[in-house]
Amino acid sequence: MTELYPTTPTALSRRTTLRAAGGGTLLLGLGLAGCRSAVSEAEAPGAEATAKPRRGGTFTVAVNSDFTPSLLFAQSGQSLQQRLVYNTLVRYDDRLEPQPELATSWEYAKDGRSITLKLRTGVTYHDGRPFTADDVIFAVKNLQNPLRAAQLRSTAAAITGFEKRGDHELVLKLAHPVNNLFDLFEFMIITDRNSVEDAVAGRKLNGTGPFKLTKWSPGTGLSFTRNEKYWQPDRPYLDAVEFRVIAQADALLSSLRTGQTQLSYGVPGRNLATLAADPELVISEYSTGGGAHYLGVNTTVAPLNDKTVRQALAWGIDRERILKQVLGGYGLASATPWPKSSPAFSEAARTHYTHDPGKARELLKSAGHTGLDLPLLHINLPGDTAVAEAVQYDLKQIGVRVTLEPTDPATAQKNLISQSMPGLWTMSHGFAQVQPSTLAVSAYPFNEAKNTSRFRSAAYTKVVREAWTTPGTGARANALRQQITDTLLDEAFIIDLVIRGSVQVAAKKLRGVTLNKFSYLNLDDAHLAG
Amino acid sequence: MTALTKAAPPLARRPRHPYRAALATGRGRTGLALVGLVVLAGLLAPLLSGHGPTDQSALTLAGPGTPGHPLGTDDLGRDLLSRLLHGIRADLGIIAVAVPLGALLGCLSALAAAAHPIADTVVQRAFDLILAFPGLILALAITAILGPGRLPVIAVITLAEIPVFGRLLRTGILVQRGREYVTAARVGGISGGRILTRHILPNAADPLVVQIAVSLTVAVFIEGAMSFLGVGVRPPEPTLGAVLSQAMPYLAQAPHFAVGPLVTVTALVLGLSLVAEALNREIRR
Amino acid sequence: MRGYLLRRLPSALLVLLVASFAVFAVLRLVPGDPAAVLAGPDASAETEAAIRARLGLDEPLPAQYLRWLGDLLTGDLGPSYAIGGQTADLIGDGLGATVELTLGALLFVVVLGGAFGILGATSRNRWVSTAVRVLTTGALSVPPFVTGVLLVLLFSVLLGVLPPGGRVPLLTAPDLGVQYLLLPALCLALPSAAVLGRYLKDGIERALGEDYVRTATAAGIAPRRLLWRHALPNALPPVVTLLGMQTGNLLGGAVLVEAIFAWPGLGQLAEQALVRRDYPVVQDLLLLLVTVFVLVQLLTDLVHAWLDPRIRWE
Repeated sequence: MTELYPTTPTALSRRTTLRAAGGGTLLLGLGLAGCRSAVSEAEAPGAEATAKPRRGGTFTVAVNSDFTPSLLFAQSGQSLQQRLVYNTLVRYDDRLEPQPELATSWEYAKDGRSITLKLRTGVTYHDGRPFTADDVIFAVKNLQNPLRAAQLRSTAAAITGFEKRGDHELVLKLAHPVNNLFDLFEFMIITDRNSVEDAVAGRKLNGTGPFKLTKWSPGTGLSFTRNEKYWQPDRPYLDAVEFRVIAQADALLSSLRTGQTQLSYGVPGRNLATLAADPELVISEYSTGGGAHYLGVNTTVAPLNDKTVRQALAWGIDRERILKQVLGGYGLASATPWPKSSPAFSEAARTHYTHDPGKARELLKSAGHTGLDLPLLHINLPGDTAVAEAVQYDLKQIGVRVTLEPTDPATAQKNLISQSMPGLWTMSHGFAQVQPSTLAVSAYPFNEAKNTSRFRSAAYTKVVREAWTTPGTGARANALRQQITDTLLDEAFIIDLVIRGSVQVAAKKLRGVTLNKFSYLNLDDAHLAG
Repeated sequence: MTALTKAAPPLARRPRHPYRAALATGRGRTGLALVGLVVLAGLLAPLLSGHGPTDQSALTLAGPGTPGHPLGTDDLGRDLLSRLLHGIRADLGIIAVAVPLGALLGCLSALAAAAHPIADTVVQRAFDLILAFPGLILALAITAILGPGRLPVIAVITLAEIPVFGRLLRTGILVQRGREYVTAARVGGISGGRILTRHILPNAADPLVVQIAVSLTVAVFIEGAMSFLGVGVRPPEPTLGAVLSQAMPYLAQAPHFAVGPLVTVTALVLGLSLVAEALNREIRR
Repeated sequence: MRGYLLRRLPSALLVLLVASFAVFAVLRLVPGDPAAVLAGPDASAETEAAIRARLGLDEPLPAQYLRWLGDLLTGDLGPSYAIGGQTADLIGDGLGATVELTLGALLFVVVLGGAFGILGATSRNRWVSTAVRVLTTGALSVPPFVTGVLLVLLFSVLLGVLPPGGRVPLLTAPDLGVQYLLLPALCLALPSAAVLGRYLKDGIERALGEDYVRTATAAGIAPRRLLWRHALPNALPPVVTLLGMQTGNLLGGAVLVEAIFAWPGLGQLAEQALVRRDYPVVQDLLLLLVTVFVLVQLLTDLVHAWLDPRIRWE
């Protein structure tokens, strides 16, 4: 066959190659000869040297998970857009002192059973409707609805009466005093009461915030434009903001490095090292932390019903190593749930349990055990798996053989809620960054009445109830917080390991960006410097 | 008569010889060498590695050439050489069970299909159904149901291989049935079962042998893909796919983390494919 | 032709029906449910129950199944449970991304496969043919997660010329879009390109060996004309069939490639939806994929029948 085909094929194949190459160049040329490259610096949006913040400009935020409208009223993985589209009643400063937002002033009744709010006038929703006290009443009632799955529902539920005094004054009546009402006011977004079903379906978000949502493309991103009638004069500075969903850490890093995106809170700690040297990026850490990894213990599984065994586990884990190896050093190794922003934070409690395998083995021995076999459930995502592997290895050193049970997030969630966890599990919790009482009444693992560890104690219930209903400042409050911390450390049904850093990576020219205590992005004062 | 008896043995033994010839070609030899190297590394894993594959240390992401860790360490300070070698071992263990099992079940269903037209329809549609589902979605669902471990990985590979072998053998049987020698045998009064086992199956078996080599590569692929999706074997046990997926977050920081499994998987599947190609060529000849 | 189609249709429909049942059943067997996901880690049992009731998950399973089938038949896919938005929109968006990726890959398949096939069959240069052979074997056997990582290491980490993942839609920004598309499309295309290349090579070699070609060559017809006018057309029918089957493979392989390159297509949507137990999205999506698979098979058979009339009269 080949003999019949002697000379031309070479020529022919060369031509073919050329043609193929031509096609290839054409294909590449589209990208490489074009004006932009997806991996080199994108055009600086309206950069100009000015001392004072100037109007205009647009930038892109890289998020690692999409907006989930059905979780609009709950604390979800991605809450950045809440404070762009909506406002809250107050804003906490760094010392957890409430500052006015939609509520301009407030006054507690002497008995602590009601609070009078003065509301801001002249505020309108994006559709032009004025904001009134009815919107606040709706917002509270909305959070009381179990369908909204709001973590602060117990606090919202303590509000049992509403007394309107005109359109801009409102008295909230409480069933009993609570000291985390301002946590609720920091958390609760004020939505348009007429379109709430549209909002949770992701069809339309109507708020009073500095930006309007113009487009949501599920899985891809969100687009916001400036609210021209925002109640703060001359704000926001920016014309528009884009959120781009980049689920893969590598791609997210690359987008920041190359200037495709200018802001992110989604860079895993272990990857921050690659950005730290970049002169165009600024890395900063919030003292609120980004949630805490903990080791949960099912106190109904023998021998974990023995407090001594649980304490042994707490001594057996090298928290600093997890911080360094899994979180890249960004965060805080801690035996308690409290980040540095919490009034309950204390250095002594944080280092109550350190890595002491000898002591751990001793405790196990004193409880009558030389070796244990325990299952440990964890979520099958890379970071969570690494934490579980580190815990497993450390516990092996004290004679506790752990079998890992990687589980997908949905099943893990189900087990958590239905209290069907195996002996051990690792997950993370939030809600320690605000009033300490919020953690015990809102975060399920710490709930006094019903928690996944199946831990019950009259003393814990009593102290939590009391801490919740006692005013949040003063010696009594501090004593109660100390008691909660001591109970958590002593009972060790939730063994805190490390508090993840809440890390902001921003382009150098981006200024005035802040997060609230629930990770809502505040861009009122954000602007681009020259 | 004597001529016939003389001719018969080579006919029965015919499949053996071409295989050996195939493996003696350049392709076959290269393939065997590659596969042999990887298999040997896996078998000798405990001897070749100085550390346990799950022993952690404070040495995070050490580079290759670090004393005591020739390939470096991973994020949790585990020895990468040990994880690689034990990973090979784990992979081999999985594919050595799953592929033959899939082949066996596939062949059995093909034989069932050959027995009766109704069975044939049922089996065919079942194969369609399995093939119609995106394999990796199936993997996610099966793992969610069965829980983590080797079992779901083996189950998914087996399930993926059943229709492949089933269809192949079914086609083979149909082709051979139409051949003259079968008709001749049937006319000659030889029973159906005997025709099947003595004549049809030996002649339909060649493509199956090739397919086993191909399926082994597919099995490596499925194991890796499942690890990538977080539904592989139970951590901290290493497999090739698991080590590679753990390396993914560190591609920019520590590319050496990924190199071991990349090279090994490539060598293994390339070797298996070369063997499959060599066999295929000889058989088609 | 119509008779052929009619003969093939009933079994295709049956596969779809059984598939719908399998999808529904498998999904309910998977532990965890949408209500738990939506309720969140801090929810009470009351919250979970309220959400379950709102989603209609407290109805008996057969009722849920029939409701789903009914909704499907009326073309109403309804809202997604967990991801948000309408199921139809989500699938539409994901489909756009996956089709873009698949078309990009298909282009690579045709170009690379064609090059492999024609070069392999006609090149007289030992090095070229060896290179083609090694490349084909490699492309065919090395799994996409390995080629994917290699491509990222080479083009993103080492050379820094292409992004390691993500997507900018081609239609909104073609210049950026292409750069995001190149690596995933190439990664997805390689195995199929290799298969295509091999078939094409065999086909051309066989066609060039046929008597009439020999006669034509003897008659002095230019070999190039022979290749394009005779050998290729004769080699094409099985290749077209194969391309059809490979399109199915590409769609299936897209799940993994999308995961490697964070490409927000149907595979990512399916994974997302399955992880969050977004029943409507998973169900509709899987059924859609099965339908596409069945249709592709059907179409392939039809095209084959059209190209090769003998099949029709079978």
